[in-house]
Amino acid sequence: MKRIRRLMMLAAGPYAPQFRATLRISVIASLVQAAAYAVFIPLLAALSAGRFGEAWSWVGALAALVVIEGALRVREGAFTYDYWHLVTGATRTRLGDRLRSMPQQELNRRAAGDLTTVVGSNVTSAATGISSFSTLFVQLVTVPALLGVVVLVVDWRLGLVLVAATIAAIPLVRKLRALSNAGFRRVDEANAGAASRIVEYVQGLPVFKATGQAGADSERLVSVFTHQQEANAVSNRSASVPVAALQFLVQVAVVALVTLGASFVLDARLSLPLLLAVVVTAARFAEPLGAAVTMTKLFEMSEAALSRIGSVLAVEPLPVRPGGTAPTSFDITFDKVGFTYDGRTSPVLHEVDLVVPQRSLTALVGPSGSGKTTVTKLITRFADPQSGVIRLGGVDVGSLEPAELLRHIAVVFQDVYLFDDTILANIAMGRPDATEEEIIAAARAANVHAFISRLPQGYRTRVGEIGSALSGGERQRISIARAILKDAPVVLLDEPTAALDTESEVVVQQAIDNLVRGKTVVVIAHRLSTVVGADQILVIDGGTVAQRGTHEELITRPGRYADMWSAQLRARDWQLPAQPASP
Amino acid sequence: MSNSGMKPVSDLVALSPGVRGQLTRALALGALGGAAGVAGYVCVAMAVGELFAAQPSASALAWWISFALVGLVVSFGSRWLAEQVAHHASFELEVVLRRRLADALAKMPLGVVQRLGSGRIKKVMQDDVAALHNVVADAMPFFGAVAAQPIAALIALGVVQWKLLLAVLLVVPVAMISFSLMARDYAAQRAKYNDANENVNAAVVEFVQGMPVVRTFDDGRTSFRRFTDAVEAFTAAIGAWTATSRTASVFNKLVIVPLPTLLVIAAAGVPMLATEWITAPELLLGLLIGAMPIEAISPLMHLTNYVNDSKAGAVRINELLAIPPLPEPSSPKAPQGSAVSLTGVTFSYSTDRGAPVLSEVDIEIPAGSVCALVGPSGSGKSTVARLIPRFYDVEAGSVSVGGVDVREMRSDVLLQHVALVFQDPFLVEGTVAENIRLGKPGATDEEVRAAARAAAAHDFIVTELQDGYDSQVGERGGRLSGGQRQRVTIARAILSDAQVVVLDEATAFTDPESEAAIQDAIARLTKGRTVLVIAHRLSTVVDVDQIVVLDGGKVVERGKHAELVAANGRYAALWARHEQASSWGLTGSKEVKL
Repeated sequence: MKRIRRLMMLAAGPYAPQFRATLRISVIASLVQAAAYAVFIPLLAALSAGRFGEAWSWVGALAALVVIEGALRVREGAFTYDYWHLVTGATRTRLGDRLRSMPQQELNRRAAGDLTTVVGSNVTSAATGISSFSTLFVQLVTVPALLGVVVLVVDWRLGLVLVAATIAAIPLVRKLRALSNAGFRRVDEANAGAASRIVEYVQGLPVFKATGQAGADSERLVSVFTHQQEANAVSNRSASVPVAALQFLVQVAVVALVTLGASFVLDARLSLPLLLAVVVTAARFAEPLGAAVTMTKLFEMSEAALSRIGSVLAVEPLPVRPGGTAPTSFDITFDKVGFTYDGRTSPVLHEVDLVVPQRSLTALVGPSGSGKTTVTKLITRFADPQSGVIRLGGVDVGSLEPAELLRHIAVVFQDVYLFDDTILANIAMGRPDATEEEIIAAARAANVHAFISRLPQGYRTRVGEIGSALSGGERQRISIARAILKDAPVVLLDEPTAALDTESEVVVQQAIDNLVRGKTVVVIAHRLSTVVGADQILVIDGGTVAQRGTHEELITRPGRYADMWSAQLRARDWQLPAQPASP
Repeated sequence: MSNSGMKPVSDLVALSPGVRGQLTRALALGALGGAAGVAGYVCVAMAVGELFAAQPSASALAWWISFALVGLVVSFGSRWLAEQVAHHASFELEVVLRRRLADALAKMPLGVVQRLGSGRIKKVMQDDVAALHNVVADAMPFFGAVAAQPIAALIALGVVQWKLLLAVLLVVPVAMISFSLMARDYAAQRAKYNDANENVNAAVVEFVQGMPVVRTFDDGRTSFRRFTDAVEAFTAAIGAWTATSRTASVFNKLVIVPLPTLLVIAAAGVPMLATEWITAPELLLGLLIGAMPIEAISPLMHLTNYVNDSKAGAVRINELLAIPPLPEPSSPKAPQGSAVSLTGVTFSYSTDRGAPVLSEVDIEIPAGSVCALVGPSGSGKSTVARLIPRFYDVEAGSVSVGGVDVREMRSDVLLQHVALVFQDPFLVEGTVAENIRLGKPGATDEEVRAAARAAAAHDFIVTELQDGYDSQVGERGGRLSGGQRQRVTIARAILSDAQVVVLDEATAFTDPESEAAIQDAIARLTKGRTVLVIAHRLSTVVDVDQIVVLDGGKVVERGKHAELVAANGRYAALWARHEQASSWGLTGSKEVKL
């Protein structure tokens, strides 16, 4: 209970004071409601005794309490109308802030789909949990508890029946929660399995159709669907037993109360009007408890959403070590750097030492999985190495705020990401205060100005609207324009031309030439021919620098580089064979 | 509560008579539960009423109490059972619908499936189907109780004391009207809300996926503003929606609770009792069951939003089920041989958008020959590749395989004849052997190995993977490298023995070593088969039997490499570019001494 309260306060964020006030109102309204039911005791006593004048005044009191409770409930409900949307907004902004500041490694570890769910639907369920279910829960729990006290005061023996029922209910509620949590997990797993099979089915439909494995009887699908159905059924069935027991308990308690009360009246140990009052009250005791049980699922849904939000908000940004001063020169050094990805056991980099002199070109080559990309990621503080130090211009990158560090670095990735905004805005991202002239100059240098000018709305064309009309090469050149505009002293290139076709390649290549002029450059290259002119080639293999030198030096030495070079020469000359047409 | 908006849901339920029967049972059980609850409380009131008699009879008292117990136990028992039945029905319905959807997907044109995308299809098949649970499992038992409990309570009250019924009848209609006002689906507002919601989701996806870019450029200022803009728009849309529904909802909060009704009964009861119009036990009965009609509605208040979500999901499910299937021939023909031809083919993805993607394209690929398609991106190369396995039907002209129009073949037969090797290799979760065997279910281990050998995959399978052919490849083949995945799919195509191969050549390979192996694999796959290759790098197609140059959806040149270079046209220009691109290299600043 404490945990949920803490999570709710966390999610309510800046509106926590209003939320707290709402909970207080809710408690008071429930007190008033319980008092209203308690009024039935003197009211029924007065009626039974024929004191109608007094009965009228109790009716008056009841009316007053009903009105007061109503007014309080309106105020309680106002939170939903005045703050629900604000809570979603504030929570999303805070989550967005967290996404921006958490280590990139942490961000990659969480699937994009999961994060979208957290910021999307989990936020709305959590807000509903805060605004509606919390007050409902207060009401469903407080009112029966208070009524139990009232009955206890009226007749302690009858009150004990309700107390006994409540005590018996506690382990059942615990059991119910444990079972439904286990059930949720099982169902979640089954759902994830089914979701991935559905994606597989859609993507592989041509193969499945060719081999008669598509359609309603697709074995791969039917098996996961059946499993999903079983998981659902099992989880539902196991939770349904304690639910049944709880409901049964509540009903039996009411009947036991009536039976015991009636026998007391027969023995003249209890007056009839009091019994009437107790029966009316007991009925009010049973109804909310029953409702609470049926609402369990809704409560738990919002609890799960709250937990997931809490877990994202709890991720700390990378620590910044003291003593960082802005770098003034831009050579890059790795000093015995060791790095292991989160959740893996074997290191991907192992005591890596390297120096990238200022204004030089260093190429990283090596088989996939060797650690090339990790080297460039660590330069940008994607994550911090477990051992060793990385320096930029002699300054430990761990002592720089990521934003400060990244001011000096431009990165061009193989996969280009453009935002659904104008082309102008996409380029301007490189330097938000750039003038339009500067942006156009960058576009010219990136070989993309002519293309943009041909678009009907030129630089104001929205990327989303022409989406697929942009080829890979055009997208890549826009991203290079962004990097040119940024004019950062360090440039990192991750196979920027690998995914392009011949046509786009030439213009992208020219753009890159303009980008890297006079910069400190680290390039990850697959095609060795593109880096024969590098000042330094580092062959990364098995997480260490296996060889280093210029192309001329490396091809003459037996080793990894010479092997790769000859393999690539062979591959380059490969051709699809011509075939004699069949007779 | 069967309001008109329920049609999409009931249409889906109607697809499974078994589920429908179960739901009827759940409704009936829910109704029984509502009625028995009323009966139970009537018996409680009768038991207490017995005490008012001058000489209360202990046995009568015991009977009433026993009846009360039975009534209450039956009430909760049948509600519980209603829930179980409804849940069971809902789980069954989910499987029925998902299999229906799988069937619809298998029958609609593959191109339509491809364009819908696996993300959207997953959402409908998984999330929207699951959301039906809100109506089918959670709300159905309540619907039964909502119908039966108020009626039973009002009848009981009318039978015992009609005068008190008058008092209750003052309140119940107000509550009913109030509830129906709130439960109304404000379609226009809801649409706005959904739009805003979708925008927020899109902004989140963009923000998360673009994060590496965001961070290296502006520390997320620009993109963060885009994100917060979408969040604020959502906040505003909600603000507007809640403002319209506020009054109805507040009113509900005040009316759909037991106390006001009890107050009315008490206030009416005082003068009635004073004038001896009614008796004290009758008033007790009024207080016990008078509020039950209202109580029956209140759980639905909290379910309304979930029910509306279900309805929106049901609409999307129906839309997907309504996509017309690809017409299958009534008297199918079998292809003879493996020649492929496109004759006068004109095609566009949607009829309303300007120039067609392909216009009057003629391509003849004799059996056993290799044809390469080259041309700039957007020229229609991939479209040609999609028309051969009939991802779409042409608008004009015809596509034939083995001399038979693809529309006159059963689509599974066509796909058995045409192996597709696309850039993005497709692997299923399972073992390497299972993945290769997909090409020919029932193939022997020997055949699988032979195919793997031909695809240059055998060596890495037995030396680099822990469990050889039984190694798990992970979700979508994630545990294999790109080059390894590529070779497994080629092995599958070799095993399938399809005589036509449509090959979308990869633009980039992950590492030089596997590039050579993949090239060997492709050489063996294409040997003796009819091949259409989409070539991104011209060097690989120098030797093919026929090069077709596409531009703007038209064939602009065709011939062999040497002829086309000599012709000095479009292809010659492409070739010159290619030569230029291959000689590019980054150069260092030579003044730096290392």
